[in-house]
Amino acid sequence: MQQHERRIVRIENIVKDFRPGFGLRVKRVLHGISLDVNDGEIFGFVGPNGSGKTTTLKVLMGLIRATSGEATILGHSVTETAFRREIGFLPENPYFYSHLTGREILGFFAKLSGVTRGRRKARISELLEWVGLDHAADSRLETYSKGMLQRLGIAQALVHDPRVVFLDEPMSGLDPIGRVEIRDLVLRLRSEGKTVFMNTHILHDVEMLCDRVAIIVEGRIRYQGVIEDLVGSGLHEVDIVAANLSPETVLELEDRLAAKLRGVGERVEIRVAEKEVNDTLRCVLAAGGEVVSVTRHRVSLESFFLSTVEGGSEIGE
Amino acid sequence: MKSLARIWTIAMNTLREAVRNKLLYALLFFGVAVILAGVVLSALSYVESERILQDFGFAAIRLFSVAIAIFVGVTLIHREVERRTVYAILSKPLSRAEFLLGKYVGLLVTIWLQMAIMVVFFVAVSLVTGAPLDAGHAAAFALIAAELAVIVAVATFFSAFTTPMLASFFSIGIWALGHMTRDLRDIGASSISESVQSTTALIHRVMPDLESFNFATEAAHGLAFAASDVWLPLLYGVGYVSVLLVAAIGIFERRDLR
Repeated sequence: MQQHERRIVRIENIVKDFRPGFGLRVKRVLHGISLDVNDGEIFGFVGPNGSGKTTTLKVLMGLIRATSGEATILGHSVTETAFRREIGFLPENPYFYSHLTGREILGFFAKLSGVTRGRRKARISELLEWVGLDHAADSRLETYSKGMLQRLGIAQALVHDPRVVFLDEPMSGLDPIGRVEIRDLVLRLRSEGKTVFMNTHILHDVEMLCDRVAIIVEGRIRYQGVIEDLVGSGLHEVDIVAANLSPETVLELEDRLAAKLRGVGERVEIRVAEKEVNDTLRCVLAAGGEVVSVTRHRVSLESFFLSTVEGGSEIGE
Repeated sequence: MKSLARIWTIAMNTLREAVRNKLLYALLFFGVAVILAGVVLSALSYVESERILQDFGFAAIRLFSVAIAIFVGVTLIHREVERRTVYAILSKPLSRAEFLLGKYVGLLVTIWLQMAIMVVFFVAVSLVTGAPLDAGHAAAFALIAAELAVIVAVATFFSAFTTPMLASFFSIGIWALGHMTRDLRDIGASSISESVQSTTALIHRVMPDLESFNFATEAAHGLAFAASDVWLPLLYGVGYVSVLLVAAIGIFERRDLR
């Protein structure tokens, strides 16, 4: 399949300016961002708070209009309405009408999405079970916990069986159990062949779930690509475990190698850049130490993210 | 057809939400109480007690229905944006125009339902006291319903782009001015200044002429009337509501929902 045929979401050079208050001053929130999301992948859109993640998602959902640039989903301009039968959206901290029950709110969204009367009842029951809310289906939403509302939010996004699902901070404010539940739901979406676009700042979830990521900082895309490439693109470090080193030797090594050392006595962990491995091993052996293991340290998404956010320079795909 | 179904879905949900609003019940309760109090007041008068009873009833229905229309209407769109319920709704295959029309229809059905309850009390009180009821009363109620449609449209219009507080001020102001534009125009016409004449005439043209929906005096006094006295204001109401809703949709569609 050609690359362009696999593109489900396309954002090209989107600029968004806001005019705070009544003044003439314009605040640019998105500085010409471009990205693609491919069919069937879980795409993580990562960035610190206020970086422009939610603004981008709102442009895609047609909730705000881009100042310039073009955004399409499944080949349709995001300003159109009819194609939204093919997309589902979970807003950040979703709020639904608290006077309705879980079953009623899904019925409301199903009607709006054009789910036929014959299919509606079965689809709602199926989804309530899918997200684990069948026991609370007939309780009013004011009695729901945050995790239950989040799961209901996912159910409403899926009520019309869309091809593409957009999730805005799906793990936000959830306890560890809630996060695991939502993570499992996202993985199930992929197993059903859906494309998932996920806004998040929780890097652990991105690393576990996403096939590709884009990092946005201050309204600019700093990196876009597959996670494996991303973590492999940073500087490699090596962890050396040494034994039989006296505290004095450890301090001396710290000074000589400018390396990070942890632990004293039987086992000392030393993290050094790849090019400094031979020198370090020589020092350890010369000090009467013993080398227990030498392993390549994988650069985490978190350290890459932090270096990208702090670095300021743009990193391409 | 599908568009109508979506508008109706939003409307019915708005109705369901509105009937759970305690403010609506409080105003409805006072409206009914004032209609019933008319019995006591009319009993104090030796002459035209039936007319006093019905004047009182008409005033109660109009005043409390308008109060509900404004106080519920001004939060209609603003609350959806503020609470972010609108995000999930507008991500569905539903246009902003359909959403706004659905909200309008839902509130209007709510207001008409509560008005119907007050009308039931009005009719019951009239029957009990032996006050006359005829076609004039039906025409008066139809015109009150039309005035409410205009007021709900005014509140919806302001709710589409401003805060409930400002929308309340504007809506109440337009309601008050709407009942004075005729007098204003007539006073202006007798002025020697041409600019005063043209200004008051312009205000009368632009602002809703809500006195054209006031048929209470004719109904309470059993005065004869022509069919055009009813359908012309109804037509005017439909036109005014259409202009307001088109303007509200135009503004709401261009708005960034941040």
